[in-house]
Amino acid sequence: MNKCKIVLAEDNSTLSLLLKFRLEREGHELLMAKDGKMAIELIESHNPDLILTDIMMPFISGLEVISHVRNKLENQVPIIVFSSAGQEEMVLKAFSLGANDFMGKPFSPNELVIRVNRLLVQNRQPQV
Amino acid sequence: MTTYQYLIDYFSELPILIKLIGGLIVISVILIVGLTIYLKGIRRYQRNKKEEILKFKSEYEVLLIEYLYAEDHEAIKEEQNSFCEWVNKLELQPAISEEKTEEKAITPVQQAIISKLEKEVLIKSKRKIIISILYKLMDEVSGEMSVAIKELYCKTGLVNYALSRVEDKDWSIKAKSIGELSRFEIKEAHYEIVKSIAHPRKEVRKEAHLYLVNLFRFDGLYFLNELKTPLSEWDQIQILEILQKFEDQQICDIKPWLKSTNDTVVLFALKLAQIYNQYEINDTLIDLLSHNNKTVRIYAIEVLTHLYGLEAKDMLKANFNELSLEEQLGFFTMLEKLVIPSDEPFIEKHLFHKDFEIQLLALKILKSINIDKYIGLNNLPGDEKSEAMLKLENTF
Repeated sequence: MNKCKIVLAEDNSTLSLLLKFRLEREGHELLMAKDGKMAIELIESHNPDLILTDIMMPFISGLEVISHVRNKLENQVPIIVFSSAGQEEMVLKAFSLGANDFMGKPFSPNELVIRVNRLLVQNRQPQV
Repeated sequence: MTTYQYLIDYFSELPILIKLIGGLIVISVILIVGLTIYLKGIRRYQRNKKEEILKFKSEYEVLLIEYLYAEDHEAIKEEQNSFCEWVNKLELQPAISEEKTEEKAITPVQQAIISKLEKEVLIKSKRKIIISILYKLMDEVSGEMSVAIKELYCKTGLVNYALSRVEDKDWSIKAKSIGELSRFEIKEAHYEIVKSIAHPRKEVRKEAHLYLVNLFRFDGLYFLNELKTPLSEWDQIQILEILQKFEDQQICDIKPWLKSTNDTVVLFALKLAQIYNQYEINDTLIDLLSHNNKTVRIYAIEVLTHLYGLEAKDMLKANFNELSLEEQLGFFTMLEKLVIPSDEPFIEKHLFHKDFEIQLLALKILKSINIDKYIGLNNLPGDEKSEAMLKLENTF
């Protein structure tokens, strides 16, 4: 798979680092944001191929990030959201705002890589 | 010098009150300046400490990630091959091959990280940082990664600190260490933690109960056999939540808990009976209908309703007048689900019950078994109708 740009918005620095390491090993370029505000800045300036975002983040939540990307930037880039147990309603909101996939915490980083790669491949295929 | 002398003379000539006020002002100024310097010092110390924590945190995070991704299979393979060659040369193959199999899980990089962390955990503040990182990551990742984190927790010796704190006299330290051992699934601590299931502090007891259920699933519930202290509603919810996470939902025998002298244990067992559909314990549930505790009796009716306890219906019907209002209401809720045509006279008898909710339920049940009679009730004169009938007048 070609090198893809991925924005990762996650406030847990250890998890961010772990996912960065794992996805970089897959050949992707990771742009890290520790909150929603920084994520929006990175998305606007780098136009990534995929966005990974946590729902609960300081300043701007993951839901607001999705809404900004889909409604303000009108960008159809694939978005995967992370959510903790008990945030099912948030996940539904994320899907209604335009998220493509979600992973409940705790999750397996290997599973995340599979989902990321699958979404990236799907996004590259020409739309029929 | 002359100026100073002039000031001293001037001060000594002042009235005593002015001298006192002047002295106070000087002392206050000295105090304010001293405290400001002291506060600045504290702030600087806190800032440095925070920076240090952040520095250590980022350092340990990197180490942890390196540890988790150090399983470079190619490197292991190469190492094993060279090891085998060396073993062949020494003609000690059988003995050392076994050792090699045991050792192959850890790479040299991982071993180096473990050794480094082993030294770091000797310092309390660093130990706290490492544990907080492991804790946080455990909440976020699952699968092989979480197994590797647990291994690291044991291999760095962090487990020994937690085990030593289980014996601590301070209940908060004790509770925290049990929680930690539970989080990292240290089954070896079982014998130590069991001693805390009847601890005087509820916080310690709760952690011990959660530990047992988290690690030993339904088998861990054996602590209920001897539990004399109350099991709070919140504890019960937490235990049930943990139990529902497991794939194997094969529950053990809950009858002994239904017969417990501890009412909270009985209520918890009733919850288990309802959630895990324990149809085979209906007889024990019927016995609970004459329990001393009203809450237990009401909940037993609810569970029997859920488990289609038809045997209980006749018994409750016969003793209906001796039941409390809540139990009567519970029984009518049961009838709503388990009613048969022969119950009609009983329902009719209670159409004018003093309780509005029972009146409503009686009407609802009558409608389900004899719609004509239900419609006929509409013809009754207004003053002969019950409150519920008047309420439902337009729905006939």
